[in-house]
Amino acid sequence: MSITVVLFWFLTALALLSAIMVLLSKNPVHSVLWLIVVFFAISGHYILLNAQFLAIVNLIVYAGAIMVLFLFVIMLMNLNAETEPQKNTWLKLAGAISGGSLLLILVSVIRSATDMTGRTAQVGEGNIGLISNLGKALFSEYVVPFEISSVLFLSAMVGAVVIGKKD
Amino acid sequence: MTDFFILMKQELIIMVIIFILLAIKIGRYRSNEWLLDMVNLLLLVNFAAGFFFNKEGMLFNDMFRTTSLIVLEKNILSLGILIISLQSYSWLKNHKHVLEFYILLLSTLLGMFFMISSGNLLMFYLGLELSTIPLAAAANFDLQKKKSSEAAMKLIISSAFSSGLLLFGISLIYGTTGTLTFTGITTHITHDPLQLFAFILLLAGFAFKISVVPFHLWTADVYEGSPVAVTSYLSVISKGAVLFVFVSVLYTVFKPISDSWYNMLFLLSVLTIIIGNLFAIRQTNIKRFLAFSSIAQVGFILVGITGTSQLGTTSVIYFVLIYLFSNLAAFGVVSLVSAATGKEDINDYKNFYQTNPVLSWVLAIGLFSLAGVPPTAGFFGKFFLLMSGAGQGNYFLITIAALNMVISFYYYLRIVKAIFMDANDHPIEKLAIPGFPKIALYMCVAGIVLTGLVSYLYDHIHSLTQVADTVPFIGK
Repeated sequence: MSITVVLFWFLTALALLSAIMVLLSKNPVHSVLWLIVVFFAISGHYILLNAQFLAIVNLIVYAGAIMVLFLFVIMLMNLNAETEPQKNTWLKLAGAISGGSLLLILVSVIRSATDMTGRTAQVGEGNIGLISNLGKALFSEYVVPFEISSVLFLSAMVGAVVIGKKD
Repeated sequence: MTDFFILMKQELIIMVIIFILLAIKIGRYRSNEWLLDMVNLLLLVNFAAGFFFNKEGMLFNDMFRTTSLIVLEKNILSLGILIISLQSYSWLKNHKHVLEFYILLLSTLLGMFFMISSGNLLMFYLGLELSTIPLAAAANFDLQKKKSSEAAMKLIISSAFSSGLLLFGISLIYGTTGTLTFTGITTHITHDPLQLFAFILLLAGFAFKISVVPFHLWTADVYEGSPVAVTSYLSVISKGAVLFVFVSVLYTVFKPISDSWYNMLFLLSVLTIIIGNLFAIRQTNIKRFLAFSSIAQVGFILVGITGTSQLGTTSVIYFVLIYLFSNLAAFGVVSLVSAATGKEDINDYKNFYQTNPVLSWVLAIGLFSLAGVPPTAGFFGKFFLLMSGAGQGNYFLITIAALNMVISFYYYLRIVKAIFMDANDHPIEKLAIPGFPKIALYMCVAGIVLTGLVSYLYDHIHSLTQVADTVPFIGK
């Protein structure tokens, strides 16, 4: 078994385990910390796929900025294990059934997908994810969406300022 | 280069208007009256400019395409935003953030334009986001009201959730077909289970935006809490824009799996019509009532979409135009009453006719048209939708839709009865109608009457859809 395969399985197990822990932990702060582990594991996957830029951005934006925001909010709202709302059993059962059927469908659908049989991820090769190639694609082929997103940010900023104003 | 300016004319105008507004905001203080006059003038220019120098073609590697049909759809949306802007005059006159409101609305309009013109799932998604995120901020524009903030919160969370579903669907489609362009997807899409699953996710995303029944739960709360201007914008413009894209995506991109989506739409439309109607009967708040009525209307539109492509597209665009006039007539009156008295309960409208005969007639005509009473345009709109649906030979669906049309008469006419016949010791006092809202209301009434009677409009749309079926996808 080569080192990438070992790494792949390790990261996969880590991601799944910590994702489950996000749901299971009673304390919201612990959930957030487990979520950070998930993001780290996924960033590891990106690096295995040779997508370095995506990996770094995932770390900086998600694991860094957004998770800190989450922690702030949770601490400001003073949530902890005691204030965790208790859901009734029927609701849990309904959630388990619908989530379980979604999982079932996803698994069977992916197994029967004709495009995917016999294919594996291209690990450690391909240079689509490198920064220079990404930059070139962003400013040539995808320049229109890139420019339009600036309007989105402008309007988001205007909206946030208006909502934030007291008067 | 001239191609670029002519093809993207409508988008460029909107962008220029946004920048003009930003410049005015930075400049010296102006009174609200001056600002509103200015903005309405700009919107009028924007609407008028849509009729000149139109050309068909594509730009940026098929990221952006335009046809006469797309130009017409954009013109309908421009007309809608102009009417809404005129109607919300009395509300905005005393608001502190007039320019910000218009910047937000215009950026959503820009998003819708790009969404309608998109030839690529990435552009489509970006346009959709641009047309929903600023709206959540606009829903919060009654800054003192808690309900308004609640509406904004519910809107942003539900639209984020639906965007999540949509993105998951898009990523699965990209994964299985290897392309994001509409033309590429059409050639690669099959009845493969994974692609069908991706399509269902995509459909769910669409259904959220146009509030089709299992995904409608956000609608009533958001409509009730938002300022009336935003409510009417949500119910007419943003729904209309998504419907335009929905129709073209279904008929062209997912044409190879049309037998699958026919069954899905069949189920969704039956559910939407019935549940929208049943809940509309029970409402006491007029905005919630109009929310459920708009859900039921979308159900009828889905019936039209189940038809064959050309008739379906024509009848949907025609109906959206009529729906725009009739819903905005109703919302215009509600907006005036709400801005002057703050009353939004159906019981408050009892004996409205005694004090405000003109507004009563406008509201009544709007409601008649929504219900589909024959001389108004609403009847012709629904007639063509059902005719398009009947083209598939599924008479069960048509029967259910027709029966529900009868049920809908009950709740629309209940309000008409409250306005004209019910006794009330304290009816809403006589309201002064400022000039702009008056023009807007007359435009709506004229639209309701004329769109139905002038058959040229329907024929015109019909001739455009014939072209639209073939032209934009010849390119590759």
